Amino acid sequence: MLQQLLVITDNEAIIDIIMCAGGFMETDRNRRTFLGVCLGSLGIIAAAAVSWPLFRYLAPRSASETSGKVVIPDTDVREGDAKFFEYAGSSAVLIRKKNGELAAFSAVCTHLGCIVQWEKAKQDFLCPCHGGRYSADGVVMAGPPPRPLKKLPFTVAGGNITIG
Amino acid sequence: MCQRSGYVSHKKIVDWIDVRIGVREVVDKELTGYLLPRNINSWYSMGSILLFAFALQVVTGMLLLIYYVPDADKAFKSVSTIMNDVPYGWLIRMLHAVGSNMMVLALLFHMLSVLFMGSYKKPRELNWVTGFILFTLVQAISLTGYLLPWSQLSFWATTVATNSASVMPVVGPYLVEFLRGSPLVGPPTLGRFFALHVAVIPAVIAALIGAHLFLLKRTGVSTPPFGVKDTDNQWQGDSYSYEDHPGGIPFFPNFACEDMRSIAIYMAIFLAVVFFDPYLFFPKDAFLPANPFATPAHIKPEWYFLANYQTLKLFPNELIGLSLQAVAMTFLALLPFVDRGRERHPLRRRLFLICSVGGVLLWIGLSIWGHFS
Repeated sequence: MLQQLLVITDNEAIIDIIMCAGGFMETDRNRRTFLGVCLGSLGIIAAAAVSWPLFRYLAPRSASETSGKVVIPDTDVREGDAKFFEYAGSSAVLIRKKNGELAAFSAVCTHLGCIVQWEKAKQDFLCPCHGGRYSADGVVMAGPPPRPLKKLPFTVAGGNITIG
Repeated sequence: MCQRSGYVSHKKIVDWIDVRIGVREVVDKELTGYLLPRNINSWYSMGSILLFAFALQVVTGMLLLIYYVPDADKAFKSVSTIMNDVPYGWLIRMLHAVGSNMMVLALLFHMLSVLFMGSYKKPRELNWVTGFILFTLVQAISLTGYLLPWSQLSFWATTVATNSASVMPVVGPYLVEFLRGSPLVGPPTLGRFFALHVAVIPAVIAALIGAHLFLLKRTGVSTPPFGVKDTDNQWQGDSYSYEDHPGGIPFFPNFACEDMRSIAIYMAIFLAVVFFDPYLFFPKDAFLPANPFATPAHIKPEWYFLANYQTLKLFPNELIGLSLQAVAMTFLALLPFVDRGRERHPLRRRLFLICSVGGVLLWIGLSIWGHFS
């Protein structure tokens, strides 16, 4: 536009006016950009101030908040039996093998997250969802599970078994 | 250069939408070309504040639904968990609980501004009536929400409020039981109040807001009676005509900025209460779980029902007290059909000014009396 006007006129006064207007427009645009950036920044800060509490409100409770030690009396688990319980917001199982040895696992199948069942007669774990089978040591014996069951730490003292 | 390419891509997106749904025409007609009276004032932002406040109530209400349990045995504990254990649960709950009070306050100011500027007059009778129904629905949603924390305050305030219906001749006692779902306030009351609070009333409010805005769009924004010579109502009543404002100020960006400023002021006051005096609207009975066998002393309703509460106490016969309130509410609901004068400036409407100022002072006086009685 400016170039066209320069071509069609050689009147210096008119060119001066146009140049001034152009300069003004440039300043105006810079001012608008500056204000836009300020407003955008404020908007981002405000969005963050709203989003963070919202995220924290909706976020699942972390393991450290929900976990705690679980104490099970020694007499609750007889030889060859299993006891299922809630641990760290998930399901876990404590078994006493036929040789008297104790073992604690996460009861969540490593395939697609179903809860495994203890088969007392066979002394192994079966996941009913897709037929995954684990030994009493949590090792995969058959089916689709990619990994063994997660082992959980425990201690035995004073007639109690403490998991975690 | 970068800005230029950003502008081009932005333009391309708008072009893509525009050729499909004509979005630029909508923007021209409803935003930049939607002209408002040049003498418009900040009181016209009260509607936008209320829309924002209602949206905030809906969002915080949905968030509370995640942890709240509508069971008489678990409700109080679930609210305590939200307040004490859930991260920022206190904030969401306080925004909801304090927000309901702030919304009622904004609604009262909205009604007062419409009253004093004579905007309820013909042809805007339907705007007033839908607005008045919205006002009663907001009271209803507040009342039903009051019970949900299942505190001593919730329980006994609902007992007293629902009991008011018993003065109705013949059907009174049955009506009370119907409202409660049982002879006394109990788990069935919580179930029906919960359904009313989270589903029925919000849906009706949303529909009525739609109707209210539709009526506003069809009739056009009223011209404030201030700063202009002729403050007479110009509507002839012979045929439909949209009140346009040639040479007025555009809704966007001009008045939209004004709306944003008003909402910011509202939020500043609202958040000041939430952060510095969160229990302003909470008497101590709000922190005790409901006990149907222990009536607390001096149970009182929310501040906006105090005038009604005090009126009932003033009359020896509850039916007279309740009927009087019903008459006052009906009169207010039908005001545009009663007050049919053409003048809109409040100072040139002596009778209106005396009655309205007197009415407001009476309401404030009864509320204060109710609070201290």
